[in-house]
Parts: sequence; structure tokens; C-alpha cells
Amino acid sequence: MITQPAPAPVASPRTPRPAPRPRRKPSVHHALSTALIVVIVVVQVYPLAWLVLTSLRSEDDFAAGNPFGLPESITFDNYTRAFATGDTGTYILNSLIVTAGANLLIVLLGMMAAYALQVLGFKLAGFVRGLFLIGIIVPVQIALVPLFIDYASVDLLDTHLSMIIPLAGFALPMSVYLFSSFFQYIPREMYEAAALDGAGPYRVFGSITLPMSKNTVVTVVMVNSIFIWNDFIFANTFVLSEGLKTIPLGLQNYIGAMGKVDWTATFAAVCVMITPLLLAFLVLNKAMIYGLEQGATKG
Amino acid sequence: MIPGRSRLSVLIFLVPPLLLYGVAVLFPIVQSLFLSFFSWDGISDMEFVGLENYSRMLFGDDVFWHAFLNALGYLAICLVLQLGGALVVAGLLTSLRRGREVVKTLYLLPAVISTVAIAFLFQRIYSLEPEGLLNRVLGWVGLGDLRRAWLSDTDTVLAAVSAPEGWRFTGLYMLIIYAALLAVPKELEEAARLDGASRWQVFTRIRFPYIRPVWITTTIMAATFALRGFDIPYLLTNGGPGQSSELLTTYMYKTAFTSTDYGYASTISVFIVVECLVAVWLIVRLLGRKGDA
Repeated sequence: MITQPAPAPVASPRTPRPAPRPRRKPSVHHALSTALIVVIVVVQVYPLAWLVLTSLRSEDDFAAGNPFGLPESITFDNYTRAFATGDTGTYILNSLIVTAGANLLIVLLGMMAAYALQVLGFKLAGFVRGLFLIGIIVPVQIALVPLFIDYASVDLLDTHLSMIIPLAGFALPMSVYLFSSFFQYIPREMYEAAALDGAGPYRVFGSITLPMSKNTVVTVVMVNSIFIWNDFIFANTFVLSEGLKTIPLGLQNYIGAMGKVDWTATFAAVCVMITPLLLAFLVLNKAMIYGLEQGATKG
Repeated sequence: MIPGRSRLSVLIFLVPPLLLYGVAVLFPIVQSLFLSFFSWDGISDMEFVGLENYSRMLFGDDVFWHAFLNALGYLAICLVLQLGGALVVAGLLTSLRRGREVVKTLYLLPAVISTVAIAFLFQRIYSLEPEGLLNRVLGWVGLGDLRRAWLSDTDTVLAAVSAPEGWRFTGLYMLIIYAALLAVPKELEEAARLDGASRWQVFTRIRFPYIRPVWITTTIMAATFALRGFDIPYLLTNGGPGQSSELLTTYMYKTAFTSTDYGYASTISVFIVVECLVAVWLIVRLLGRKGDA
């Protein structure tokens, strides 16, 4: 913690205030820890607040004024320039396609594998689980060179699919794991009752397992979307053409395109491009936090 | 086992996921291992060179060893920031009476931001001319002598590219550790307090051992994530100045896609995998009680 820059005491507006002194046990320890946590949260959040403030600041104010305080006046010019420079709409669309495609594969295939492993069961289930464990431990870099060579030979380089395949493949193990631990809690009796009514494994999957997994789906999609939306390494390796670039690659253009870096416009572009995910996160963060806590503490 | 299942139904559910996983993950691992025994630039014929790439890497490549040591430094900084920071905040959070949800959400925010955006942000935070946030703050608190261009100073650049990665994911580990701390039975802690244990003793004797399984998970996560760290160093300095912030991952990437030396790049990536496996083994050995890890 200590090596992080201590920020100016410009508290972001959403920082929680220290709690009022409790009536029963006024304790120095409690007051101290509350103060400390406020300081830490400010350190954590101030850089982001600064990013947003800078995007609303005029260029002159940024260059001449105090760039770390509140802006003198608020302007949206930077956003106009940001949109004029890059192909912001295209980047966002590409990111949406890749994120949606990969998530679809991750959810559907992850659920199927977990269903086979956890509900249907088979002799080699332990071995298959072991195979999936490899994908959690092994770093994605191992796949870059082979996939680049393979894609070149089957003409997949520079397509959306070239990003979707490895993103989904490396995310699959975690999703199998999360779905498996959820499927443990679906009572056996439900399956037996369905079987008495004549449902086979496909019907059971479609009409019991799938609809019951809604919350786990939200968790899986949310966690994976963060990584997929922000993926840099696969996009940077497999995609070359401007029209297929996703947000992380598109952002790089703002630095190159303007010779001297237009920081206020760059930060405006950053704000535009991180907003969709940020909104989804703020709306769904309860589900996500719950899923992460469950997933990790049961592991 | 549900009634009516057949071997065919198992296969129908299992084959599609395994196919994707095989194409994207398993096959490339095997292929990397295979390529690491060849010399190949992607154009001319592949030439089998046996263990030559490995001996070149281990005995004849200073950059490799430099990058390896840097990667260990990067790992250490990330672990301290992520696990240490996470533990402190999680501990504080348990004694907070209100606003816990807000703190959790705010603390997790940086994990949602694209690494490219984070690289821009820190480029500005570290810069000397124009004066960035870090240097400005040092001036304010009377440590103006320490001001420097953090990213072009060979003494500080490794720490400077590691810190953003640490900062970014502290919230994630905090969340996990906090959830684990909540599960520690209150009776245990209270009994210890009645016996006169200090806060520190409650922490080291009760809380810490109780959440040991979660420590193993989070340490493995943080360590393997740090060993595969790539984006932020690549974007901030691209390994420079010189090789002072070169990691194995950035070195591998350049070897593959700048020098198009696919064989040698595969050798380095096999090493990265081995490094991750050794790290996981060590963590389980060191943190796990004998027999139950």
C-alpha cells in the first residue's frame, strides 16, 4: 500500500464519511480504522476520479492550472474531439460482438460440461476435471504463437473469431467450476420426479438445470465480461485491421494519432469506452461480488 | 446419475466444450512444447534443433535471466500490494459498522478498467515533465528530492510498472479475504479475547489459521496472475529503458512477433508455464498443512 501515491485530500463525492461515534462503545480503535479505510479508498479511487475530471477540463486549464484539483469550468469539447479522432463507435461495436460471442460459448459450453460432470456423471469425470484445472493455472501466453500459426493456416487471423476462441477457451474452466458447484445444490429429487414424468437427460437440462442457473449465469457473464471487454493481448496479436479493433486497441490510436498527446481528449475517450462496462458493473455488482465470494471461499 | 442417461447423452454434453477447450488451450500447449525443439521463423522450413533452444535460454542468454529476475521482482511487488493490501482493508472492513457495500464496490472499481486506460493514467501519474501526480505529491509532503521520471529511471521503472498491476486487483482479493474473515466463528474470537488475547494474537492465532484454505487460493491466483502479467509493462515501457522492466512475457512476445523467432519464443513460453507450476507447487507446500492441502 505504501508505495502508492498519497493523493490530495480531494475526497471523491461517494467516499463514505466516518461513521458517527457509536453510542455504546466509543472506541479509539474503531475511529482509527474507519479513518484509515477512508484514506485507503481515496487512494484507490482518486486516480479514477482524476481521469474523469481531466476529461471535463479545458486544455488550457489542464496545461496551466492545477491539474489535480477541481476544474475551473466544465467542458464537453474533449468528448467532441475524442469522437472526431477515432472510430469510437466501431471499437465499441467490436467489443460488444467479441464479448457477446465469447460469453455465449462460455455460458452454454460451461453449463454443458458441468452438467455432464456433476449431474450425469461418468467414469473419467476426475480426469476431465483435471484437464480443466490446467487451463486455470497455465498462462494465456502459451497459446499465442501456436494459435497465430494455426490461424494463419486456416485463414482465421484478423477475424472476430480469432479473439473469441481463445478468450472463451481460457475462461471455460472457471465457468465449468462455478456451474458445477452450483449444480451440487439442485436436489436429486427434482431429477427423479422429472424422470418419473418421462423426461430424459436433455429435457432435464432444458427445463430444470438451465432455468435454475440464472443467477450463476449472471455471475459467470459478469466476471468474464470484465476480462474479455478489457482483453489486450489476444486482440493485439490476432487483429490487424482498423475495422476489427476492440476498445483496448482503439484507445491506443488516441496516443498515436495526434502527434503531441491530446491528454484531455484521450481521457474523454477513455471515459466513453469504459462506461458501458462500468455501468453494467455498478448495476450487477451485488450478483458479481456474491459469486466471487462464493466461488473462492468454497474452493 | 439421473435416470435415463446414456453414454451418448454424456458425450453430447461433453464433446462440444472439450472441443473448444482442446482447440484453444490443450492443443496449443502441446504445440508449444513441440515448437520449442525447433528453429523456425515462420517462413523457411522448420529445423529440428533438439535441446539447443533450451541450452541457449539457460546458458547463453543474459536478457532471459534479466527478464526472469525482473519477473520475480514484479511478482513480489504484486503479491505484497494485492495480498497485503487486501488483508489490511478486509480486516478494517470487518470493524466498519456501515458503508461496507460502498467500500467494496469502490475498491473493486479499478479491476473493471481496461489496462490500456490504466497505462495512460499511470503514464501521467509518473511523469516528471509535465509534473505528474506522484511527483507533485512528493513535493507537497516535503520529499521533493525524490522527484524523478519514474518510468525512465532504471532504478525505479520495475517498481513503477508493477504497482499499477498491484493496485488494479487489490479489490478482488480483498473481497475474497473479507468473505472468508466473516466466516470465522465469532465464538472463537470472543473466547480468545476472554482469555486475554490481544487483537494481534486473535489475528495471528485464530483468524489467519482459520482462513488458510482461502490464503492458498488467493495466493495461487495472485501469483499466477502476476507471472503472466503483460499488458501494463508492455504498454507503459515495452520492457525499457534497456531491459530494466523486461518481463519473461514481454521478452517472449517480442521474440515471437518482432524477431519472429517462433521456436525460441515457444521455449520461453514453456518456461513460463513451468514457472507457474513450480509457483503453485511451492505455495501449496509452504501454506498447506502437511496432508490436507
